[in-house]
Amino acid sequence: MSDNDVLENVLDPVGQPSGIFGRVSDPTSKNTGVVLDPYRQPTQDLASMGGQLMAPRLDGLEGKVVYLVETGFHGAKDFMDQAAGWFARNMPSVKIESRSTQGMIFTDDPALWAEIEEKGDAAIVGVGG
Amino acid sequence: MPTCAVVTAKFENYVARDTESHGMLLRYAYPPYPVGWMSKEVLRDYVEADDPVTGKPLMQEMVHALTLPLTDDEKNPKVAQRPKRPRLLKKDTIENYKKMFIENGWTDGMPIEIPTEEKVEEMLTGTDHAPDEIVGMMSVTTHEERYTYTVEKVAVNAVMAGARPEHFPVILALAASQEPSMPSSTTSFGRMVIVNGPIRNQIAINCGSGAFSPFNFANAVIGRAYTLMSFNFGNARINENFTATFGNVTNYNNMFAGENEEESPWEPLHVEKGFGPEESTVSLFRGWNVNHLGMSIGGMRYSDRMLEVVNGLKSMLPGGTFVMDPLVAKNLKDQEGFRTKEEFRQWLFERLNKPDGPFMRPPSLNMVVVGGEWNPMFTTTDFVYTQTVSIDKWIPENGIRMDAKPIRMPSPVTCKDGTCGIR
Repeated sequence: MSDNDVLENVLDPVGQPSGIFGRVSDPTSKNTGVVLDPYRQPTQDLASMGGQLMAPRLDGLEGKVVYLVETGFHGAKDFMDQAAGWFARNMPSVKIESRSTQGMIFTDDPALWAEIEEKGDAAIVGVGG
Repeated sequence: MPTCAVVTAKFENYVARDTESHGMLLRYAYPPYPVGWMSKEVLRDYVEADDPVTGKPLMQEMVHALTLPLTDDEKNPKVAQRPKRPRLLKKDTIENYKKMFIENGWTDGMPIEIPTEEKVEEMLTGTDHAPDEIVGMMSVTTHEERYTYTVEKVAVNAVMAGARPEHFPVILALAASQEPSMPSSTTSFGRMVIVNGPIRNQIAINCGSGAFSPFNFANAVIGRAYTLMSFNFGNARINENFTATFGNVTNYNNMFAGENEEESPWEPLHVEKGFGPEESTVSLFRGWNVNHLGMSIGGMRYSDRMLEVVNGLKSMLPGGTFVMDPLVAKNLKDQEGFRTKEEFRQWLFERLNKPDGPFMRPPSLNMVVVGGEWNPMFTTTDFVYTQTVSIDKWIPENGIRMDAKPIRMPSPVTCKDGTCGIR
């Protein structure tokens, strides 16, 4: 068989899209994250995600409570500290609340999200990457 | 809650891909990369400067992300649904297929066997499971869409790797782990795969001399198939969702080997993990560092030297796995009195100076016996054990489908039942 011969029965090697997506680790997990935990396969499908819409925006930030949330990547806290300084210098009426997520970088922190929902007007979250 | 996600500019495409596939829009602001290990002065410059992606002031971008009204597209996000893939590729010449598989990122760049229906059907004789049975789903990322794969898809990748039907049950077990060989991380994960049980000798998996070197057919093709599955099931795409900064040489065949149970003075790894000694299994380890030259020096006891090395091995995960030649294991047992792996594990654990943490418990330390007794050496890794998967369920009821004359590389595998050195 030569390289110029034609084949018409070669199979595609790629898997099929499942409609199942990942999610952050369970907050009670002892797993330190950078791990794809085979025992906790994600269950988020397209249907369950389809209704997630962006929240309406604010008319302005003056007098609002803005949470600056650093998620644990190296340098994130220092960066958010500088961002807080920028708000203090340039938008002093904005009340900044600085927080760090609990656990490690890929762990969810539902208690913090609840606090922000209750007490905050907006959030800036990072720094990823 | 109006939210702005802050992501370094290096990851602009990465998060755009994530957003598209999830159908949930977010507003981002992008400081330069990296922010880690930068002085406060530099970071202050970042917040005072432009977003390198948009060219507009970075902090203004954050404020706008929270305050500018939503666009129509943002109010009506669309979930990108990937189309189902056809079973067969368009007909083409062999030469073009060879290019196509490389250029589409379906291979590791080395030559493959083109997966024709005939080749795949032959591979499928290596198991009794139906071709359309779903084996699992996988992604190299934590967040992107998983791809599902059937027994036939696994067979396609096994053919591409150059495997034979006798290897197929092990490859199916690896696929069933649903764990990609190379999870995407900027830190560049490495992998080790250890096989236990009777199948090691039946299909001539090397557990002895040069087990991690390219001298064994089974070790080469099964280890390679695991990598190909990570491309094609885990959807690894370099610089898109696969972000290993320099990669890891173990990604080529994943340190695939068997445990030298016959020469080990201790119980096999899979028995430690709750499987029977007559079961065949594949165990997975993941980490970064592989420190090969492990010797007892200056008359030190092996236990003391191994403790010294693992204490000096800096890693992100406080755990590790020793791979030791049988001579080391025998020394630890016969000369130092560690009757079991567990006794040695406890001894090490009590003396480790790593910080306490969720992984810092005895099971985070593992020992595997591999090697041909040419030198009493050990390899120290920071690999953490992730799981053990049964191979037996994938073996045909009538036994492993062997070729009439199984292919074996020149160096015979050392085994005690005489079945593995076929040539």
